Amino acid sequence: MNFQKKHCVAMLLAGGQGSRLLVLTENTAKPAVPFGGKYRIIDFPLSNCVNSGIDTVGILTQYQPLELNEYIGNGQPWGLNRSHGGVQILPPYVRSKKSEWYRGTANAIYQNIPFIERYDPDYVLVLSGDHIYRMDYAKMIRFHKQQDSDVTIAVRRVPMEEASRFGIMNTNPDGSIYEFEEKPKHPKSDQASMGIYVFKWSILKKFLVEDEEDPDSDNDFGKNVIPAILNAGHKLYAYNFEGYWKDVGTIASLWEANMDLLDPEPKFDLYGDGRATIFARNYALPASYIDSHSKSINCLIAEGCEIYGSLRHSVVSTGCTVSKDSVIEDSVIMPNVFIEGGVIIRNAIVGENCVIRSGAVIGGAFRQDEERQIAVIGKDHTIEINQVVKPGEVI
Amino acid sequence: MNDVMGLIFANIYDSSLGSLTQKRTQASLPYGGRYRQIDFPLSNMSDAGIRHIGIVTQYNFQSLMNHVGSGEEWDLKLADCGLEFITPYSMGASNDFRGKLDAIYTARKSHLKRAKEEYVVLADATVVCSIDLKEVINTHIRSGKDVTVVVKRGVADGKRQLDLAVRTDREGEVTDLTADYAAPEDYLASMGIFVIRKDFLIQSAEECVARNRFRFEREFILQDWLDGKLSVGAFEFHNVALFNESPEEFFFNNLALIRRVVRHDLFREGLTIYTRIRDQVPCYYGENSEINDCIVADGCVLNGAASNSVLFRGVKISNGASVKNCVVMANSEIGIGAQLEYCILDKDVKVKAGTKIIGTMEHPTIVNRGEVV
Repeated sequence: MNFQKKHCVAMLLAGGQGSRLLVLTENTAKPAVPFGGKYRIIDFPLSNCVNSGIDTVGILTQYQPLELNEYIGNGQPWGLNRSHGGVQILPPYVRSKKSEWYRGTANAIYQNIPFIERYDPDYVLVLSGDHIYRMDYAKMIRFHKQQDSDVTIAVRRVPMEEASRFGIMNTNPDGSIYEFEEKPKHPKSDQASMGIYVFKWSILKKFLVEDEEDPDSDNDFGKNVIPAILNAGHKLYAYNFEGYWKDVGTIASLWEANMDLLDPEPKFDLYGDGRATIFARNYALPASYIDSHSKSINCLIAEGCEIYGSLRHSVVSTGCTVSKDSVIEDSVIMPNVFIEGGVIIRNAIVGENCVIRSGAVIGGAFRQDEERQIAVIGKDHTIEINQVVKPGEVI
Repeated sequence: MNDVMGLIFANIYDSSLGSLTQKRTQASLPYGGRYRQIDFPLSNMSDAGIRHIGIVTQYNFQSLMNHVGSGEEWDLKLADCGLEFITPYSMGASNDFRGKLDAIYTARKSHLKRAKEEYVVLADATVVCSIDLKEVINTHIRSGKDVTVVVKRGVADGKRQLDLAVRTDREGEVTDLTADYAAPEDYLASMGIFVIRKDFLIQSAEECVARNRFRFEREFILQDWLDGKLSVGAFEFHNVALFNESPEEFFFNNLALIRRVVRHDLFREGLTIYTRIRDQVPCYYGENSEINDCIVADGCVLNGAASNSVLFRGVKISNGASVKNCVVMANSEIGIGAQLEYCILDKDVKVKAGTKIIGTMEHPTIVNRGEVV
């Protein structure tokens, strides 16, 4: 088949196990975890691609891919059901000589060199499937071209005292990177990598092949490939991003990112300026019903809900019922949860399809000076009548 | 239901809905926070496995076409048949459709004869209901009747003009038919849903139009039944059916969704009502919001008070504003301190801060699309 050239192909790394999300990723790949009432985490990078004019996206999956595959489908919700390009799920597969799982982020892309080559791209954008942010990649690619860069890495400023937790880019005044330090003990800069890379395809391909031939390599972008390209004397630039960005790899950060959607001036405004829409697969549910017994304050409530109880500072996802005399505060209720009457939920994440029977108490309140501990109920659980789930408990 | 096709008539009551249908068909009239009326017949057909549907429309159909698109949301985007629009001038007719029979007659060669299906389900977009059409079709086939009409008890009251009404005996056999008549209470009102064999429908349309008979209910069903040429079966529908034939009914039937029994009947398990997807953010309820007994769609930002109202997608209610007993269509914005009672706000209306609009339950005030008040 004759494939037309694509300017840029995006490769989205969605294979991570996400073990720090505990029960929420027991049967679900991290990018498929629900977020923000009606979204899944992967909707954010995927929508960013579409809004940046990138119409060819490979999604690299390997851990619990079923739900993610079904969610992505033919890519229609994101306008990625293209006759040329569009979205492709790329699981590891059996090759004629050998078959193997993806051994690392770099190996995952390496194994899909044939996919990328079909589009003969100038640039390859490498993304993570577990970050919440809105970004115009086209601007970053323009910057990459202007600098005639070989690799451009998106960075954001982090507080200096936290810098030792991140991959830190040390740059010259012109933004070019002279050193990359993974979790440095004594950081020299506050520019943390966001795991978003633009590569010249010719350079990336060369180093992927070399990395593959190195038996000592962990086949990881941050650890192996980027340092190798840097050491070979190529041009690497840091691209400063100033908007909201959050890695939702832990229970605490997933909860926080959901809370960041609330308040009159939210830290992350899902509405945006009306142009960069976050797309999601929508299900056929009626509009929500809010009863006169309910009191909902500073909340996001998606469609298909029936709310008779009281909600404060919470995110309630599609298809949930909250019955009379139930109270939900500072919590995230994932899709299709049924909550009976007289339930109290505070500082908790309740997974998809859970049933919370009457009188149950989940989580608890915290003083301002206390460290919040988020109670988590995994998918498909039933919490029995009057059952108590302690603050921070994981079920 | 591979051997059944659907025909939906989109413009039936346009004239009785006043400014609500000034720039849209009755079928594309918004309903229930996120739907258009056509979503109901279209979804009912799709849920029954009908995969070939013609939408008959003759004017004002831009918004309808935008809404239905390729039919993808209803699983009708298919390689061979799927969804078709049937409009008079697209088929070389030199005049508007003079009635449903005329439309069927005009479309007989281009759409109906070519279709491989044996039966046709006809529906208007006036009645909002969730109906299992498989059951209707199977009942029709078993009955051996020429045509089956779906009917609803409790609508006829001796005052309301009904296109078609039937009276049945204890066994459900039709004993009387009336057309364009305010039939008394013991009659059942037609819901505008008919099942008929396709060849028979085409033949009947040809014979009727040849004699200048264009009106389906009066000049075909009633007349041929009276002449003994047509056997008519009645299928009584026991679930919720809302007739939207006037602005007042439209208002009342939207607010009816606030009643649990109505809501849980229209959106009951096993039947799904599909609509066009809009990627909107979940509704935000602000610190000072007071929302009681409301239907709320995605994309709303609610900072004021609303009670007993239907809020469509993207409605904004500012601080201190109060909305009572209103139907507020998509993307309308209500300014600070505004007070609305018994109003229908069409799409994209802007209500300025402090404005007060009070209608009555019998005659809700209608603010037309895009107006600034």
